[in-house]
Amino acid sequence: MKLTTRQLTLCAVLTAMALALSYLENFFPLSLAIPIPGVKLGLANIVTVFALYALGPAQALLILFARCFLGAMFAGNMNALIFSLMGGVTAMAAMIALFRLRRLSVYGVSIGGAAAHNCGQVAAAVLTLGNTAPLYYLPVLLGVSLLTGALTGMVAALLFRALEHTNLLKM
Amino acid sequence: MSTRPFPKLRPGIWDALVAAVVIVLAVVCAGAFWVRGTLAEGELTAVVSMDGQERERFALSDGEMERTYTNHGYTLHLLVQSGELRVAEADCPTQDCVHTGTIDQAGQSIVCLPARIVVQLVRTGGSGDVDVVIG
Repeated sequence: MKLTTRQLTLCAVLTAMALALSYLENFFPLSLAIPIPGVKLGLANIVTVFALYALGPAQALLILFARCFLGAMFAGNMNALIFSLMGGVTAMAAMIALFRLRRLSVYGVSIGGAAAHNCGQVAAAVLTLGNTAPLYYLPVLLGVSLLTGALTGMVAALLFRALEHTNLLKM
Repeated sequence: MSTRPFPKLRPGIWDALVAAVVIVLAVVCAGAFWVRGTLAEGELTAVVSMDGQERERFALSDGEMERTYTNHGYTLHLLVQSGELRVAEADCPTQDCVHTGTIDQAGQSIVCLPARIVVQLVRTGGSGDVDVVIG
């Protein structure tokens, strides 16, 4: 993949933003309201949605991998890597598929991504625990993903509206 | 320079369809667990697993009891009271297992990811597999 300087710079900035958003998220622990391991707002998904539209699937995937590896490294928790990677890659696959349909708005893409993210994380939990018990959380997690997906979709929509009159999206 | 289509920003009928699919999936999933939980017969039993290996099982009707489990450097204190089970205390950073609260139905579970401990409620010894018949 050949990146222009402009694309590379945008990728770097978006990776940094995704990392900052995942850190920021710790101050709004959704898991206190819904006590299930892995429940969170998924603010970094805003960056993924944005990158998917602004830069395309390949670069969005690049940002996702950089975010997962750097995030696990900064947290000093390599165990978390399998969770963020499986959730992230499943979400990305779902979002690329939905994005290609061309009929959906950022809301639909974002909700599909959030739901897929939770499925990926439950799969990671089943694998690491060697037990199917985490499947029990799937219905609640899917319900939560409707809310968090709509929220990140809304933020992404606001972002695109704000950028509509700039040339950031035209490249 | 490629021209990407500007994203649709207003939710439409197709977005509602995605949301509907997610809801149906959640309901079907929950329904499957509920049916499995209610169809099961036998005594309500807690199964404790660490790293995917079953370590202990005990009936919830055994009365009040306390159990302590340590795995991967984390310790969980389990409390059984009047047929209900909860993690009373844990020294993990997330405390998800403590916040999960009390469980008392077959199929429910408490998961502690850092310690890799799973406590699952099942029904065993139903009419299908009778171990001992007294009387």
